[in-house]
Amino acid sequence: MPSMNAVLFISFLLFSVGVAGVLIRRNVLIILMCVELMLNAANLNLIAFARHSGTVAGQAFALLVMGLAAAEVTIGLALVVALYRKKDTIQVDQINLLKG
Amino acid sequence: MTMESTVSTALSMPIHSSVLWLIPFLPLFGAILNGATGRRARNPKLVDAIALGSMALSFLLVLCCFAQLLGQAPENRSVNQTLWSWFELGGAKVLGGVTQNTMAWAYKFDPLSGAMALLVTGVGFLIHLFSTGYMAEERNDGTYYRFMAYLNLFVFSMLNLVLGANMIIMFLGWEGVGLCSYLLIGFYFEREYAAIAGKKAFVTNRIGDFGFLIGFFLIFMIFGATDFDTLMGMTRGILAMPQITLFGITHAPTWWFNLIGCCLFVGACGKSAQIPLYVWLPDAMAGPTPVSALIHAATMVTSGLYMITRMNFIYINAPVALSLVLFIGALTAIVAASMGLAQYDIKKVLAYSTVSQLGFMFMGMGAGAFSAGMFHVFTHAFFKAALFLGSGSVIMACHHEQDMRNMGGLRKHMPWTFASMGIATLAIAGIFPFSGFFSKDEILWKVFEGWYSGGSTLSLLAWIMGMLAAFMTAFYMVRLMVMTFYGDYRGAGHADPYGLTVPSEVVHHAAPDDGHGHDAHGHDAHGHGHAHVPTEVPWNMWLPVAILAGLALIGGFLNIPHSLHWIGSSHFSEWISPLLFQTGAHHAHEGAPAIEYILMGVATLVWAPGAMLLAWVFYAQDPSWARPKAFVKRFPELFEWVNAKYYVDEFYEAAFIGPCKQLGAQLWAFDSLAVDGMVNGAARFTLIISHACHWFDANIVDGLVNLVAWILQQISLGFRKFQSGRVQNYAFVKFLA
Repeated sequence: MPSMNAVLFISFLLFSVGVAGVLIRRNVLIILMCVELMLNAANLNLIAFARHSGTVAGQAFALLVMGLAAAEVTIGLALVVALYRKKDTIQVDQINLLKG
Repeated sequence: MTMESTVSTALSMPIHSSVLWLIPFLPLFGAILNGATGRRARNPKLVDAIALGSMALSFLLVLCCFAQLLGQAPENRSVNQTLWSWFELGGAKVLGGVTQNTMAWAYKFDPLSGAMALLVTGVGFLIHLFSTGYMAEERNDGTYYRFMAYLNLFVFSMLNLVLGANMIIMFLGWEGVGLCSYLLIGFYFEREYAAIAGKKAFVTNRIGDFGFLIGFFLIFMIFGATDFDTLMGMTRGILAMPQITLFGITHAPTWWFNLIGCCLFVGACGKSAQIPLYVWLPDAMAGPTPVSALIHAATMVTSGLYMITRMNFIYINAPVALSLVLFIGALTAIVAASMGLAQYDIKKVLAYSTVSQLGFMFMGMGAGAFSAGMFHVFTHAFFKAALFLGSGSVIMACHHEQDMRNMGGLRKHMPWTFASMGIATLAIAGIFPFSGFFSKDEILWKVFEGWYSGGSTLSLLAWIMGMLAAFMTAFYMVRLMVMTFYGDYRGAGHADPYGLTVPSEVVHHAAPDDGHGHDAHGHDAHGHGHAHVPTEVPWNMWLPVAILAGLALIGGFLNIPHSLHWIGSSHFSEWISPLLFQTGAHHAHEGAPAIEYILMGVATLVWAPGAMLLAWVFYAQDPSWARPKAFVKRFPELFEWVNAKYYVDEFYEAAFIGPCKQLGAQLWAFDSLAVDGMVNGAARFTLIISHACHWFDANIVDGLVNLVAWILQQISLGFRKFQSGRVQNYAFVKFLA
């Protein structure tokens, strides 16, 4: 049984990798994956705290988040396809319509 | 019996004043009709019919009116017709207060205007008839209708002048005849001298009209009316006023009458070609010869005389103005007659003769003998029109040659013309019983009487000048006749044993046979214009001349001087006497017929025949003209001086026209330099100002605006960097926050 701190630390590392991926990587697919990483880090946190407090509400939340993530990925991938069709690229540094 | 009763019924009937307006308007209709449609009329006979028909109708109307006038009592002999009121002259300030005057288009047919209308339409008709023959060349080149329309328009204007019942209508006619004179003198306007002569006549007449207008305005200011009857009726009242004040100047009425008389006389000088405004008349000979006869001998030039007779109520009360008229008339008579002595152009001789005869008429007016002056107008119209038309026939027969040195011997070839012109010459020279004797000697006698019973030295001087002028008149007329009709024909291609001819200045602008018009058989056999013999002109040319000569022969019996009452009575003087202002100082004709008989006898038996004999000896007895040549050789300067018309034209050119042109050039220079310079300077100044404004606007104002924009741009450049457009950047910031 790993300690609470270790779990939280792992969760922190996962989230950090997700954030760094979102901020640094150029490929939209990778960015989507990193978003999934961040969601799963949150899930890990929820489960850890649920176990620690002895309730199941947290676990239920984790299941909800997973379902949500699946839906989110579906929409995200659809957006990526649409984006690719429009701009012939999925590199985000080339998508700067909002540049001033 | 029947005819007598018809005539007496016609005479006793009241005059139909409603047809009066037709007298002047018929020629106007003719002019409009011919002027508007004549160009398209294929046949010039149509133009003839309109022009001559309107003239003939007008003449017949005048005859009817005149006959009816004869049937009236002398005091009723006046017919007035008011056509319409032309314009209202409300609120004009005159001597008698503020006037409310209606200027009516009105005609007045009375003994004076009736007689003048008879002259204008009668002589005018004969001259129209003559023109149909004389203008034979123009009949074919499309300008004929223009000539006839002008002639009719002239007659309309002249009839307005004489029939007008007030000064406005008279002035309308006065200006109208001036205009027609200009148009007709410049009829051959493609020739420069004709155009210049027309201009000269017009401008000279304008100078006279200026004086006429001032006199007219003065009359209106004093009388407050323009109607002749009203004016004459008011004269006595005006004369009774002690003082008249106008424009702040106070003088006796006579002083004002003198002023008016002098001003009006300036107008008469222009129209009737008196010194110093006579210069246009000789130049006016550039027009066709019928024009010279109609306008510059018979009718228009007499309008000044007519006007003075109309205004006799002014003149008879203006002694100074009358003296001026007398002096100028005498001076013109002698100066113009002397100029006529040395001219070679047949029409120029007649032109100076006209000026001189007009001087005689003014002498008569100046002596206070209006009826004598008017009577000379009539006799002069007859014989001078005959002479002018005769000279036209001669010129045409000689193929437009006007120099008398290239004529001669025409007596055998043109018997009708010779006889007519001979009668007219005797008439103008004043031989008894031709008409000129009665009229001219009446004038000279009245002038002499002014000295004899009036004691005026000026009258004596004028009488002497008049006698000298009469002598010269007889001389140059016989000279003209001899040079033209006696000897042998000296035209081109003929023998000239004495070397008298000069190179001809004729411009042969027409086919050689055009000169004779209708008589095709004449000289056509020769095939060319040289060595031809002049032939008599067609009937429509010699007949008017003959009629006029006949009138010149018998016309004098209309006004027999009082002293010759056993021949007849002075119809004409009695006829127009109702129109003359009665001064009241009726000095009975105390006689002195002995002196009058002597003067008459001397004039007609010694004086005029002497001059004629002298001319005969000079030019006819010796066909080589040795005596006049010797005379010229002896006094070359004198001949040169007279032949050049005393250099009056040159003097006017140097004294008036040149300075006027100079002044015009100066004004033009001032205009182009100063006025235009000012305008251009203003434009340039505005241009410079606007350039400066433009610079200020483009650099300072726009610069400020641009500066603000630049500052904002620089600031926003920094902020732009934040807006990279990359979602990741934005997300990064969000994470940091």
